[in-house]
Amino acid sequence: MAATLGDSSSWSTALVKISPYTFSAVGIAIAIGVSVLGAAWGIYITGSSLIGAAIKAPRITSKNLISETAPTREVLSTLSQRPHSFVQQKVPHIVIFCEAVAIYGVIVAIILQTKLESVPSSQIYEPETLRAGYAIFASGIIVGFANLVCGLCVGIIGSSCALSDAQNSSLFVKILVIEIFGSALGLFGVIVGIIMSAQATWPAKSV
Amino acid sequence: MASTFSGDETAPFFGFLGAAAALVFSCMGAAYGTAKSGVGVASMGVMRPELVMKSIVPVVMAGVLGIYGLIIAVIISTGINPKAKSYYLFDGYAHLSSGLACGLAGLSAGMAIGIVGDAGVRANAQIELLLGYLRTTICVGRKDDCILRIIIVFYPLN
Repeated sequence: MAATLGDSSSWSTALVKISPYTFSAVGIAIAIGVSVLGAAWGIYITGSSLIGAAIKAPRITSKNLISETAPTREVLSTLSQRPHSFVQQKVPHIVIFCEAVAIYGVIVAIILQTKLESVPSSQIYEPETLRAGYAIFASGIIVGFANLVCGLCVGIIGSSCALSDAQNSSLFVKILVIEIFGSALGLFGVIVGIIMSAQATWPAKSV
Repeated sequence: MASTFSGDETAPFFGFLGAAAALVFSCMGAAYGTAKSGVGVASMGVMRPELVMKSIVPVVMAGVLGIYGLIIAVIISTGINPKAKSYYLFDGYAHLSSGLACGLAGLSAGMAIGIVGDAGVRANAQIELLLGYLRTTICVGRKDDCILRIIIVFYPLN
């Protein structure tokens, strides 16, 4: 009777034997690991185009800095007249969009690991504990892969932004608007990941 | 545990995976659409900078796909609550299928928006084809909107 019910769904029989802590740990690892992969991928796509284009138009490395306000521009122009100025070592603005994706992954991984609670070993395979493990796993997958595609998207747009900025400096701010749309995708992943991690309620310890 | 095992303990796995699929695949489509049309806009903007702001349309359409996935993922994940309403394998599979439907539709719509947007903005720079490519991107976006409406209509039947 109960044995035949269990036999009819072999996925369930296999899944229910895996500890929820396995799922949680893998989910947290994917949240941060794949997010950082996306950020790194985006940074190298942008960075290679940026540095290559800067050979003929060196102003784009400093142009892509934090703000366009007048005091900053004055400071930057005086600094860039010096050889090997530290301006060229500053991180371009576009790259910061990519790095935000990695920071989203770190934040969500920290939030997910605070959701973990220890449960006595008699209760590990309770339905509620299993559900909490699955919730953390799915949350990690969502954040990781959403940030991966977001980092790729921002990287590709950033590289074309740098190239078009080298041709015509008025284009930089316009293409940056497109990049803001791209970076919203990582934010969607973080929002859904945090909403789903609220479902990870472990059972109260039975006395 | 073995005496009461009915398979429903693992139903939330499929439910949460459905929510994950909804968001992840829609984001993939949105990213492809944004990136591909963004590259087209940047390339076109070198020659015709005044057309850049008008050519943001495919990027906006692609971004909306990500929002569709977000909505469905939140609806699914708040619907998985075994304490409020018992959650059988049927519900788990239904959520998985609705998440996959939304996500994969968003992925395909995003790829179409990317390809059409890229070609459209480049052609728009040469000839004023604005209405043509705009209509195409809106039609593609509407297909995903239909999927979203189907899912929201059928969801209360679970």
